[in-house]
Amino acid sequence: MIEVDILELLKSNARISSKEISDSLDIEESLVKKTISKLQKNGTIVRYTTITNDEKLGKAKVRALIELTVRPEKKSGFDRIAKKISEYPFVIDHYLISGRYDFVLIVEGDTLHDIANIVTELASIAHITKTATHFMLKKYKEMGAVIGDLEKESRLIVSP
Amino acid sequence: MKALYSTLVDQIPPSGIRAFFDLVIDAKDIISLGVGEPDFKTPNVIIKQAIKTLEKGKNSYTSNYGLFSLRQEISEYQQNRFKCFYDPHNEILITAGASEGIDLSLRSILNPGDEVILPEPNYVCYAPLISLCGAKVVTLDTSKTNFVPDLHLLAEKITSKTKAIILCSPNNPTGVVIPKKQLQAILKMAISHDFWVISDEIYAEITFDQDYISFSSLPKAKPKTILLNGFSKSFAMTGWRLGYICAPKPLIDRAVKILQYAQLCAPTLSQYSAITALKKALPDVDFMRKSYKSRRNLCLKRFLEMGLDIVKPDGAMYCFPSIRSTNLNSLEFALKLLEEEKVAVVPGTAFGESGEGFIRCCYATDRVLLSEALKRMSRFIKRYRNA
Repeated sequence: MIEVDILELLKSNARISSKEISDSLDIEESLVKKTISKLQKNGTIVRYTTITNDEKLGKAKVRALIELTVRPEKKSGFDRIAKKISEYPFVIDHYLISGRYDFVLIVEGDTLHDIANIVTELASIAHITKTATHFMLKKYKEMGAVIGDLEKESRLIVSP
Repeated sequence: MKALYSTLVDQIPPSGIRAFFDLVIDAKDIISLGVGEPDFKTPNVIIKQAIKTLEKGKNSYTSNYGLFSLRQEISEYQQNRFKCFYDPHNEILITAGASEGIDLSLRSILNPGDEVILPEPNYVCYAPLISLCGAKVVTLDTSKTNFVPDLHLLAEKITSKTKAIILCSPNNPTGVVIPKKQLQAILKMAISHDFWVISDEIYAEITFDQDYISFSSLPKAKPKTILLNGFSKSFAMTGWRLGYICAPKPLIDRAVKILQYAQLCAPTLSQYSAITALKKALPDVDFMRKSYKSRRNLCLKRFLEMGLDIVKPDGAMYCFPSIRSTNLNSLEFALKLLEEEKVAVVPGTAFGESGEGFIRCCYATDRVLLSEALKRMSRFIKRYRNA
């Protein structure tokens, strides 16, 4: 399916041009543009982003994974509370999960102190009954991309 | 005066591909279509099992023939996949890559003065290994017959000294599959003139447009066939160095005699890993085949758009277009393309004189890079055609 093929190329490189996509999938560039625009409009493509290794910058942000236990509401269950939590700009990822906790969040701040404030803020929300905060010490992989020094192509340039 | 080095070795010309490699080794930031191997990593299921094998310490010598359990797997695989039966007890020999299989097969059958018919262009190792046995290479030019051996020409090359013909289908460097009719005709000649057919089937799993016909699956072919296969291409295991010979017992008896003194046994870790490959990684092979096919289609289409003559490759991972319309010879083309457009291809002459006027392009590379390389080639060709 063209949509899947285009998304696959975009997921591995969001900056790929529609010309490059058209060349490598051997389809018309106009079709590539039309498909991407459709996928953007219907929300399949949510956002183009960049995976970074902030350690290289020398000023990596502080991230934590926070688990939350939530008392669901009668009518809306978890959704209304989820919406409220997702609105915080410091929440990077947010999932409803199975198991001992209900939500898991990844939050980001500049310092440990920022994270402490975030936890306090979250804990003060009614319905949230318990939190567990895990600071992230090192990033190995994000969205399928292994973080670290680039691996060199190991094949010879020419071989029989 | 006595010669310090082997005269037979000194008579072998250096590998054309090696010479080209030395020229390009320092090139930076190039897109290479010059490789002869998959761009996939070895399937994860094989790697994981290999680590376990190492941890268990299963790393001692095996039987000279190779692990019996691997030979059993291969026997079943050849039967199920390619409809030819070989007895795991004495008709299968595990080798360090199909390359060793070719060497052992030739050394097992050739005497000085024997002749081996070699359709050309072909993979780089056959001719030198024949010469090392003191036998004579009789080339059969296929470049004018769509890279399929012409039967009349073949009939003319057969003499009382003809000991074997080497077929490689799908072919490296052309990607061409020899049709069943030609295979049957070649078998008929092999039977009536009593010579071996060495069938290099290393790319058997990588065919796109039709079911693969293993030479030894033809009726009455088995006694005349030395079948070579391996794990390098189909399972993306080039560095593991694992292949095998399937042949009648008397041939295997001789090949194992050489192997036991020269090699002892194929690498043990690779042997265990090959069992995993056959048991668990066939779905990976299907996946890779599909990927190669779509890239083959892309290349073929682009080369036709560039106006190059090309025989449709039905398998392997190569396109072998003619570049005569540029008025450059193969080596000039490859060198200038590298210099001006930073794309590496292999000059056809690396695969024999009849490869002159062609280049080998391996499409086992990242799709986006591949299409960029093709774009650059198109630009390059336009420039030289109009020059």
